[in-house]
Amino acid sequence: MEKSILGYKCTKCAQVHYPNRTLCRKCGHNEFTTLPLPKSGKLLTFTHLYTLPADFEVTSIGLGIVELDGGTRITGQLEIEKPEIGMKVRGDVKMVRNDGYNNYYGMVFYRA
Amino acid sequence: MREVYVAGIGITSFTRLEYPLVEIAAYPAMMALQDSGLKKVDHVFVANMASGRINHQTGLASAVVDNLSLTPAGAETIENGPASGASAIKAGFMAVASGLHDVVLVTGAERLREVNNLDATDAVATLTHPLAEYIYGVTLPSLAGMFTRLYMKKYGVTSRHLAMVAVKNHDNAMLNPFAHIHQKITLEGIIDSPEAMTNNPMVADPIRFFDCCPVSDGAACLILTTKEVAQKSGHPLVRLAGVGQATDTHAVHDREDPTELLAVRGAAAQAFKMAGVKPSDVDVAELHDAFTILEIVESEEVGFFKKGEGHLALERGETRLGGRIPINTSGGLKAKGHPVGATGVGQAHEIVQQLRGEAGKRQVKDAKTGFTCNFGGFGNNVVCLTFVREG
Amino acid sequence: MSIDLEKILRPVDSPMPLYPPKYMTLASGETMVVRQVGREEIPQILPHVEPLIHVERDFYNIVAARVYAELLGYYCHRVQDEYVLVAQVNGELAAVVNGRMVSKDVGMSYHTLALKRGERIGAHAFAAKMEYHMDILGQKEVLIVAESPIGFRRWMIEYKLEKRFEIPHELGGPPSWALTRELFDAARDTLLVGRRPVPEAALAKAKAGILPPIDPPTPAADFLAATRSQYDSTGTALLPPGKTAQKPKRSE
Repeated sequence: MEKSILGYKCTKCAQVHYPNRTLCRKCGHNEFTTLPLPKSGKLLTFTHLYTLPADFEVTSIGLGIVELDGGTRITGQLEIEKPEIGMKVRGDVKMVRNDGYNNYYGMVFYRA
Repeated sequence: MREVYVAGIGITSFTRLEYPLVEIAAYPAMMALQDSGLKKVDHVFVANMASGRINHQTGLASAVVDNLSLTPAGAETIENGPASGASAIKAGFMAVASGLHDVVLVTGAERLREVNNLDATDAVATLTHPLAEYIYGVTLPSLAGMFTRLYMKKYGVTSRHLAMVAVKNHDNAMLNPFAHIHQKITLEGIIDSPEAMTNNPMVADPIRFFDCCPVSDGAACLILTTKEVAQKSGHPLVRLAGVGQATDTHAVHDREDPTELLAVRGAAAQAFKMAGVKPSDVDVAELHDAFTILEIVESEEVGFFKKGEGHLALERGETRLGGRIPINTSGGLKAKGHPVGATGVGQAHEIVQQLRGEAGKRQVKDAKTGFTCNFGGFGNNVVCLTFVREG
Repeated sequence: MSIDLEKILRPVDSPMPLYPPKYMTLASGETMVVRQVGREEIPQILPHVEPLIHVERDFYNIVAARVYAELLGYYCHRVQDEYVLVAQVNGELAAVVNGRMVSKDVGMSYHTLALKRGERIGAHAFAAKMEYHMDILGQKEVLIVAESPIGFRRWMIEYKLEKRFEIPHELGGPPSWALTRELFDAARDTLLVGRRPVPEAALAKAKAGILPPIDPPTPAADFLAATRSQYDSTGTALLPPGKTAQKPKRSE
């Protein structure tokens, strides 16, 4: 099954949050429905990180903040040779970290 | 509300200290007690971020109050990430101002060098959002990298400006015997020469090695009390005139405009308002330059310069010793060092020294009003303090 | 006769081209010269290495002890095809690196000892050593091991070294890692720096004498002493850096 990152939509004001909140940032309501977040959007900013925590096997990774279609923002890893601010990207949910016991899944973005 | 004064101060070198954490915390407290002439205190606040994880010790305050033989005074550990230090000072301020206690000892201490750099960076990275940031490998330098890229694009800040902050703060630290880094650096060595890019390698593009603070051990202490008690210490009277604190979203991507540090703006405004001073009244400031970009941006957000003009003021030399508003005379986190939980108290220590006129070769002439900004997380929890010399 | 025995004990060195000296600007703006030294200069280096044998932090003790032995081995003709490069700032010794030519194609990296810290001096010196193997000796690969976590990060991670775990390294037999020509070319732009020729005055200054390092690593305070007050009631923590605590005088 294709994996998705879930957004949290306030049942009162329809604001979509990611990551989740107990109370809505816009209206203070406490009930949410989940919805899969879109996977394409535009890159707002990025970096290439060369000092990684010890559990990473690679020597560096790309990281970026993406505004998904619909306006929700998300941080993710980048697999893009030469990223540029404002470029279109598409994402995929993949394993982003393994600490020896657990696999963590998150969004990885590619050039659209 | 009672007015709150600083009666005594103490500090250790910010470096690698190969002593038990409790002793590191207690040492500047001993110096501060001597400095104030006091023998007993009513309450102890210990600021620390990572003792449980790094040093395998929890309940630090109980250990410190006993090591100092100050029992049965009350004691608490205050953890607020990198802003723990200023948060503990704020707690001390509230205790004295409210009348609950007359003499409060605030000591901040951290010993991160017990583990290697990778583990220390990871310990600090646990400040980030566990599900939306940490799992991707996001560390504080990477957040600073993404932030710097936006700021460069929007306001024309360059790598050269960042390096100028580093050079200035390294120069200041040369005058501070307690600073971690006593190493002169030059723009030629880290920006211009053919070897510069190798001397100053990328950490989180566009953030380079000399844009990042070191990982330090260290501790600093302030004794807060009433005017009557402080007067007996025989030092010039320094009043903690304003405290301010504000928060922002936990995940950086959640901020409407990620180039704004709203928590810095809010905390600074409160700290100025309570003290009844304006940013332009400040004679000397310690800003939280864990990354060089932060000194520039904070200098704008607290109100010293217009938004987007901090790097221009830096170019004009307004923030160096002898300039209009010297920033980070101690060397800042960049060169004085960043023992996380102790940092905020260390900033206050520098300001009190400056206001008392005890800062030696880095003394700002006639400094009357001082300001500190202690920045937690990546700008999600910020505490600002305003100090004023009386008389 | 002893002369004859010495002939048997002494390996015959293969001809090895000399490393052409180079210089670079450090973060401090100072100039560092990297050059090869011959046997005659080894006695000038040994006294600066010896104190580090007693620095029990960051593996300085083991690295210094081994470098000392390897320098002696070179000086007394007990290691075959060894070379030694030094890095100097204003004549002061900043780093020592050494290694050995195993065969025409394979080099063996021995040690990298930085006597001045915080300016990537060790990294520059290591890169120069790799340059010697690859560009000057024209070898295909260099076998490397790390004895400290700092070394591991610098060599294995920054150069992305390949595993040659089937080959035991000469430094105690642990599994080797290898720098290949390909990896070296990939790292060339970012990690290998230096300009030639070295300005005459700077080279003359370096050759005039190997001066003692100005701020070498020093032993840590004795952590086994139960408390600071036992040996330093005046406050070691307040001493400016570079000064270290006196070891406690234990009562007999």
